[in-house]
Amino acid sequence: MLKKNAYTKRSKALVWRETVSAYLFLLPALIFFIGFVIVPMVLCLVTSFFNYTMNDYSFVGFSNYFEMFRDPVFKKAFWNTVVIVVVSVPTVTAFSLWVGSAIYQVNAVSRSFFRCIFYLPVVTGTVAVAVVWKWMFNKYTGLFNYALTHMGVIDNNISWLGDEKFALWCIILILFTTSIGQPIVLYVAALGNVDNSLVEAAEVDGATHLQSFWKIKWPSIMPTTLYILVITTINSFQCYALIQLLTSGGPNHSTDTIMYYIYYQAFKLNRYGYGNAMGVILAIIIAAFSALQFKMAKSGNED
Amino acid sequence: MKSKDAISRSVQKTGPYKVLSMVILVALAVLFIFPVYWIITGSFKDAAAINAVNPEWFPKSPTTDNFVRLFKNPALHWLLNSVFISVAAMGLTCITAAMAGYALAKKRFIGKTLVFSIFICAMALPKQVVLIPLLKEMSFLKLHDSMLAVILPTVGWPFGVFLMKQFSETIPTEMLEAVRVDGANELQTFIQIVLPIVKPGIGALAIFTFISSWNDYFLQLIMLNSKKNLTISLGIAKLQAEMSNDFGLIMAGAALGAVPIIATFLMFQKYFTQGITMGSVKG
Amino acid sequence: MKKALALVLAGTTVVCSLAGCGSSAKTEATAAPAAETTAAQAAAETAAGAAGTESPAADITLWTYPIGSFKDADTVNGFIASFNEKYPDIHVNVEYLDYTSGDDQVTAAIEAGTTPDVIMEGPERLVSNWGAKGKMVDLADLWDDDASKDIAATSEAIVAACKSPDGIYYEYPLCMTTHCMAINYELFEKADALQYINEDRTWTTENFGKALKALKDSGVDTTGVVYCGGQGGDQGTRALAMNLYSAQFTDADHTKWTMNSDAGLKGLTQLVDWTKDGSLSYDAGAVASDELQLFANGTTAMTFCWNASNEANYASSVAFTPYAVAFPSDDGKPELCGGIWGFGIFDNGDAAKIDASKIFIDYLCDDETQGPVSVKSTGFFPVRASFGNAYAGTEDEERMAVYSTFMPYLSDYYNVTAGWAEQRTAWWNLLQQIFGGTDVKTATDEYVAACDAATAAAK
Repeated sequence: MLKKNAYTKRSKALVWRETVSAYLFLLPALIFFIGFVIVPMVLCLVTSFFNYTMNDYSFVGFSNYFEMFRDPVFKKAFWNTVVIVVVSVPTVTAFSLWVGSAIYQVNAVSRSFFRCIFYLPVVTGTVAVAVVWKWMFNKYTGLFNYALTHMGVIDNNISWLGDEKFALWCIILILFTTSIGQPIVLYVAALGNVDNSLVEAAEVDGATHLQSFWKIKWPSIMPTTLYILVITTINSFQCYALIQLLTSGGPNHSTDTIMYYIYYQAFKLNRYGYGNAMGVILAIIIAAFSALQFKMAKSGNED
Repeated sequence: MKSKDAISRSVQKTGPYKVLSMVILVALAVLFIFPVYWIITGSFKDAAAINAVNPEWFPKSPTTDNFVRLFKNPALHWLLNSVFISVAAMGLTCITAAMAGYALAKKRFIGKTLVFSIFICAMALPKQVVLIPLLKEMSFLKLHDSMLAVILPTVGWPFGVFLMKQFSETIPTEMLEAVRVDGANELQTFIQIVLPIVKPGIGALAIFTFISSWNDYFLQLIMLNSKKNLTISLGIAKLQAEMSNDFGLIMAGAALGAVPIIATFLMFQKYFTQGITMGSVKG
Repeated sequence: MKKALALVLAGTTVVCSLAGCGSSAKTEATAAPAAETTAAQAAAETAAGAAGTESPAADITLWTYPIGSFKDADTVNGFIASFNEKYPDIHVNVEYLDYTSGDDQVTAAIEAGTTPDVIMEGPERLVSNWGAKGKMVDLADLWDDDASKDIAATSEAIVAACKSPDGIYYEYPLCMTTHCMAINYELFEKADALQYINEDRTWTTENFGKALKALKDSGVDTTGVVYCGGQGGDQGTRALAMNLYSAQFTDADHTKWTMNSDAGLKGLTQLVDWTKDGSLSYDAGAVASDELQLFANGTTAMTFCWNASNEANYASSVAFTPYAVAFPSDDGKPELCGGIWGFGIFDNGDAAKIDASKIFIDYLCDDETQGPVSVKSTGFFPVRASFGNAYAGTEDEERMAVYSTFMPYLSDYYNVTAGWAEQRTAWWNLLQQIFGGTDVKTATDEYVAACDAATAAAK
């Protein structure tokens, strides 16, 4: 409050000077942002009203949008995307928090050990991870079938990535292993910084472990949680490389996501206008989702 | 005495929980190590061992043949390209994001809410959404098939700005006021005060940007088409496309490709695994 | 300057053709811009042929899909080196595409205006995709009388496949093959199933069914895998489903998709029945390359994705005898899908580059010594009848002789039907659906409706 008063007392000239210097600091980022995000986004919006293909560019109004809502594959892709995000974001966040709190107090060596282990899939690179999992999921020479048949869990080999019941979950599993490294590292660091005297004091007062966690630790790691929510969301929306390398959206569209379907329409069928229309819708959804996340984290923080 | 009792009680209470959680952790660790173990051992296996229906847990007759075949391709050149792209994207992102983040966190200016809201809304946007327009733009700028076509859009993505804004919130305003009174100009303030404080944030951002630009193989695929510009991710994807079951060769490529990312991680991790403190969430 | 040069060259051509030393057909061009091209090219040929002095200068780019050894830099560089002995001033830069991401790269290049000059692939891309969308150059002057007759002598279907419905040639073909299947000879022998295969390597659907049963009885766990995890090698699954009851994939004019005919449904239903009783397997997580690997390991007793080039590739890595056979067919007369590979030129608006590209294609395909060498490097057969048996006297002769017996079964090249790209995805999704339990007729009707809609939209 005090700060705000100080500001209002300043003269207009000072505010003006501050604005200029702020924009000078923002300038480099804004140039890149406007040049390579905003401009393409506007182009995307404009071309979504055209039957824009490799050899046509005629205005069609909203017909790409109407088509989208009638397109059964788009619907399927939409729900798959929702499933991936809704499942993976909370799981990754909760799980990394659990791992983080389980290892932040152990001795330094095992802490480093676990941190590195969970970071391994991140540093291996998406393409390499996709290839090795494809091999492990292989119906005939894959490890999963070998292990499960030998343990007697299943009788016949399963085509993990070729079965509608499993394919999407396999993708989510791989996504999970590649998303969790960063959050764990961050949580370990954040939990390490929580003022321990507060926790001890609370526990002396008879608070359970769980209580002291929710009352003391959770609020102070909230900014980290927000950051983790954001990167996990980004990762989940971008899992499309896995889909392209592993299933091409199959079997029977059960792993199609909007991102993959946009790619398919644009690059395989050259229907850029239609792809861009889906892109616009996706962008709106993601923007709303990000804003919502931010709002929620903000209000949670102010409690 | 009373307090000691309480502490020991709480330790005892959490005993079984700790054991259980350790067991789960170790089990999960296996799940995480295994793919990497499989890549490394796979890169030393011959074709028969790779395709064996009964998995060969450790290469019985290890061979370096996969690496020999990998290096028949210009794999080091690919690696170099990837490193160049990722380092350039990382450097530019860190600089621009640190400056912008500082301004958004610590300055009051006209249009601040608007600018920040747009950054927030765009930060999780996947690049697939704008690939075709981006392609057209690069073609217009005569940058298609140059590494800049991959670097520039990566730098433009606003996630870094958001992150650096969060970190910059932790800078004590009094400190900034103090140096200003001492007559330091804006640039000096930024370099001498701001940068050292947000260093952990820059470390985190550096790793994040490096890895995501390293992995963004589809952007590389459509922006680069001559072999002099090929990257390691593209190279491995190409090897996989042509010889989809030559896992030995692909694993060798994967193992090679992981080295620079691990190096980057080790280089920057100390910045943010030590004193990471994120600023509180402000709009 | 360019015009002047062209005039001089054109003059030379006229003189040469009068003297009877030019290739006469090539000077009979019609349209004005084409005349310039043709003249320049023919002249360059004669000039270079005569003295090797005046070679046109240009930098051109060639992109190849992995067709035989055209994916191999050593081979292609060798070809370019010998080309440069004749035309030292045409510099050829090569990039190698793969079938997984190649199309994306070409699409990106078209949109960014960075397409190569020459590209090597088949009619479904050169003619019915990029050609139909106006991105390619008319190759009429390469298709002179001599070439047309020579290629038609091999098969009229090849000539038809290389031109658009309105008669413009977008591909100049080099080689061709028929896709077939192969069996593991030893496994069949052990199962006493060789009796079901005729001497001419054809078999009937009934006998194929018996062979599957015999294999199962002899302890082969996975006889064959109908792969449908993507579009890679989908010609094999199409041919399998079509041939079982002699269905047609499209109508004769390539305007409608026809796998929902009685014969088509019967074939698809038969496949589903076989997978249900375990005589065959399906894998919606595999594409042809995965299936081939299983075959090469000896895990499966047959592959549905085979041709001369595959045998050459896998020859060293298999511990059994891969034995090529035709697809089983109810009447014993298979119709095999063909592959026709050749070159097309992207219209980059630079006449000099287009001319140089034509010279390069002409050299690779028609040069007396280089032509057969190019064909052999693909591991397929020449489209030109005059090349005769390109493999005569080589170590490949015996192997190739087997595959040449399949040539008479070459079927209509339906891959040029509009809406092809949509169809390819719809096809593997159709297979995934019917193997997953969807009613065959319902799923196939839907598939045909979707493909027909795509065909109509593309017109």
